[in-house]
Order: sequence, then C-alpha cells, then structure tokens
Amino acid sequence: MASSSSYSNPPCAACKFLRRKCLPGCIFAPYFPPEEPQKFANVHKIFGASNVSKLLNEILPHQREDAVNSLAYEAEARLKDPVYGCVGAISVLQRQVLHLQKELDATNADLMRYTGSETSYLNQMTAQFGRMGRGGGGASFNPNSGFPDATYSSQWNNDSNSSEHGGNGGM
Amino acid sequence: MTLKSGTDQACAACKYQRRRCTSDCSLAPHFPADQPKMFQNAHKLFGVKNILKLLKQLDPTQRVIAMKSIKYQANMRDRFPVYGCLVEIQQLYCQIQAGEGELQAVLSQLAFYRQNHQHHQETSSTNEPTSQLQLGVAPPENSLSLLHQEIPQSYNAVTALPIAPQPSYSDNANPAYNINILDSKEHNMLNNLWFQQAYCNSNNNNANSMAMQSQFIKSHPLSVQQEMTHDYDEIHPFFDAIDDTQSYIDSKEAYESSSESSMKDMRNSIEQMAANELKSAAAFFSLTSVN
Repeated sequence: MASSSSYSNPPCAACKFLRRKCLPGCIFAPYFPPEEPQKFANVHKIFGASNVSKLLNEILPHQREDAVNSLAYEAEARLKDPVYGCVGAISVLQRQVLHLQKELDATNADLMRYTGSETSYLNQMTAQFGRMGRGGGGASFNPNSGFPDATYSSQWNNDSNSSEHGGNGGM
Repeated sequence: MTLKSGTDQACAACKYQRRRCTSDCSLAPHFPADQPKMFQNAHKLFGVKNILKLLKQLDPTQRVIAMKSIKYQANMRDRFPVYGCLVEIQQLYCQIQAGEGELQAVLSQLAFYRQNHQHHQETSSTNEPTSQLQLGVAPPENSLSLLHQEIPQSYNAVTALPIAPQPSYSDNANPAYNINILDSKEHNMLNNLWFQQAYCNSNNNNANSMAMQSQFIKSHPLSVQQEMTHDYDEIHPFFDAIDDTQSYIDSKEAYESSSESSMKDMRNSIEQMAANELKSAAAFFSLTSVN
C-alpha cells in the first residue's frame, strides 16, 4: 500500500474502523490508539464519529482526552444498559446517598437521646454537618425539575425521597 | 412544510430537520415543539439515527425511560461538554465518602458514650457519679439494648458500604448486572477508586483533579455500571417525577453558568464540609478531655 510508508504511524483505531487513511492531523488519533479498537467501536456505535469529532473540535485540546474517556464510559454504559445507560449508575448512587443520610439521621437521633442535653451542642454540630452536607454540598434538588438545576449537582431522583429530606436528596 | 397533519405543531425533531411531522413520528412524544433546545442537545450528542436505532431495540414501555435518560445525558453533556454525566457520578461518590466519614464519627461518639454509660452503671449503683461526663438524664434501660442492636448494624453498614443492604435486583435484560452491590469486593473496588480521594480531599485546581478523573475512567471502566444492579421497576419511579417541560425551562439559566465556576463551588463546599468536620471533631475531643 502506498500510504503505509515505513516511517508513518499506524492508523488509529478510528481510522482503522472507518477504513480511511489516518492523516497526521487526525483528531481521533491521540485518543483512540490502535490497541483499543473496542473503545472507538463503542463510541461510534452510540454517538457516531461525526458527532464525536464535532464535540472534540469544540473543546480545548488539553481537555479532549478527558472528554473522549467520558464518552467512552457513557457509550459502554449505554451498550450494556440500553435503557438507562450511565444514568442508571447515578440513580443507584443517589439512593445510596439517601440511605446513608437516613442512617446518619437515625444514629444522630440515638446519640442525642443517649447523651442528653449536655452534649446537645456537639450533636447539633454533628447533625448540622449532615445538613450542611446536604444543603451546602451543592446537592440541591428541585422537586419539580428532573434536569440539572442551577447548582452544580443535578439530581436524578424521585419526589418521595427528595421530599422526605426537605427536597434535597444529597448530603 | 413541517406542519403535522391537522392542527398540531410539528415536533421539535421534525421542525429541526425541516420535515413533515406525521402522526406516527416516533420522536414526537419525546420532543415537544416548545423545547427545541432539548432535541438539539440530543441530536448533537447522539444524532437522530442513533437515537432511533436505540429505541428500535426496546419495548414501548422501555422507550419512554430510555428517552428520558438520553435527554438527561444529552443535557448534562451540554452543560459539561468535557465530562457530561460523570460530573454527577463523581459528586455522588464524594457525598458518599463524606457521609461515611460522618457516620464513622457519630458511631465513634456513640460507642464512647455507651462505654461510659456502661462503666457508670457498673460503678455508680451506690457511689456518687464522679465522672464529669456523667450526663443529666440516664437513658432508659431499653435504649441501651437498642444501642447494642443498632451499632453493630450501623457498623455493618459502614463496613459494607457504600450502601446498606438493599434488595437484590433481577434484570432479565441484563443478567450481567445481577450482582449484589453489598459484596465486599465491590466495596473494595469502590474504595479503590482513587479519584474519589484525589478529588474530594485535594485542593488542587480543576485541571489536576479532572485529569485524575480521566485516569480513573481508564483504569476502572464502568466500575460503577458493572457493579450496579438494576431493577427497572425500582428505578422507574424516578422518571415519573421528571417534568421535562418545566424542568428544562427552569434550568435554562443554569446553562449560562460556566462549568468552571460550578467546579469551584463544589470544591468550596467540600472544603467547608471538611472544615466543619474538623470543628466537630475538635469539639468532641475538647469535651472528652474534661476528666
């Protein structure tokens, strides 16, 4: 083959998959090495090469590797779970957080009951830490919103759990 | 023309593609005409063809859930072009870690007071209480037994964390996911997710922390996904509460904020939590030093 000169790099996984010449400026080459063909195959299947290329072009070069890895993660998640994708993991983690919070509340209640008023200040601080973890950790939740809200954390949650914790499912 | 037959407006998908929106348009139920941005995000990330391909392999009931997750994922990618949904996953990990630490601290306090109470009960049946930690009101007898019951349970929860016992799920569609998350192996794996430590405890800048996150993705592909169990009946209620129309409009302002400031806010909140933890620990130790 004329293109496979002795000093040219082997085609990246993307170009190999797409059966095209891997040019020196190939945007995929740094992030889809030929040793990981499945990575690009997954990304291509879920998102498509064109979309990924456009996404990468909109991102700063030093962030592209992270972006590709996150896309690869999401693609693999979607392939394994076509219904929920990586959002399933978010749901489970949120439930874990809620369960942990309930556990904390129960334990704090025991502590306060057990220690009485003399340590109520300490307990209040401890409880407050938990509350602040929920309120100040950026994990706010708008019960009416299923999509990311203004704060950093977006809650993929249900109303019953969130209302139980005052509309905040985080810590 | 892009008008649907009849008086209904074309869906956002058909409007975007400038085609006729027929009554059997499969995307119409999921992309109402008044939310063009939602479809744009989904189209930008997945593309119409890929979305239709995904929906084709699913049952009608699953399609609704799948579309919601697709829209969520697309919107997250729009907000956070580099990390997408991983931002949320990472924050949840941090929350779980912080919660575990807090639970440990509270359980330690409980154990301490239980120990003191036991000591007090053993020695103060006839003696006057001498310990300055003697508390005003002695707990009722049954509370101690309750304590005995609950502490082991809580410790089990801690050691088996990140979560306490949950019903095991069965998922016929994805048998590979029928793994009980309480398995200690999963817990160890989650504990080994170094990026939690790196991101939650470090004061590094965003670039460093997220670079470490990239390493996490490389070394633990789908570690969360593989260890998760799925029960669609269990998760399904999550989607019922989601109001696409209102939620997107309400969150539209958020789209203007930069992800960098969000990262900064999260870092500040995590630092604040750490500071408060130190304060409560200090208060606890100052109290216990009175003897």
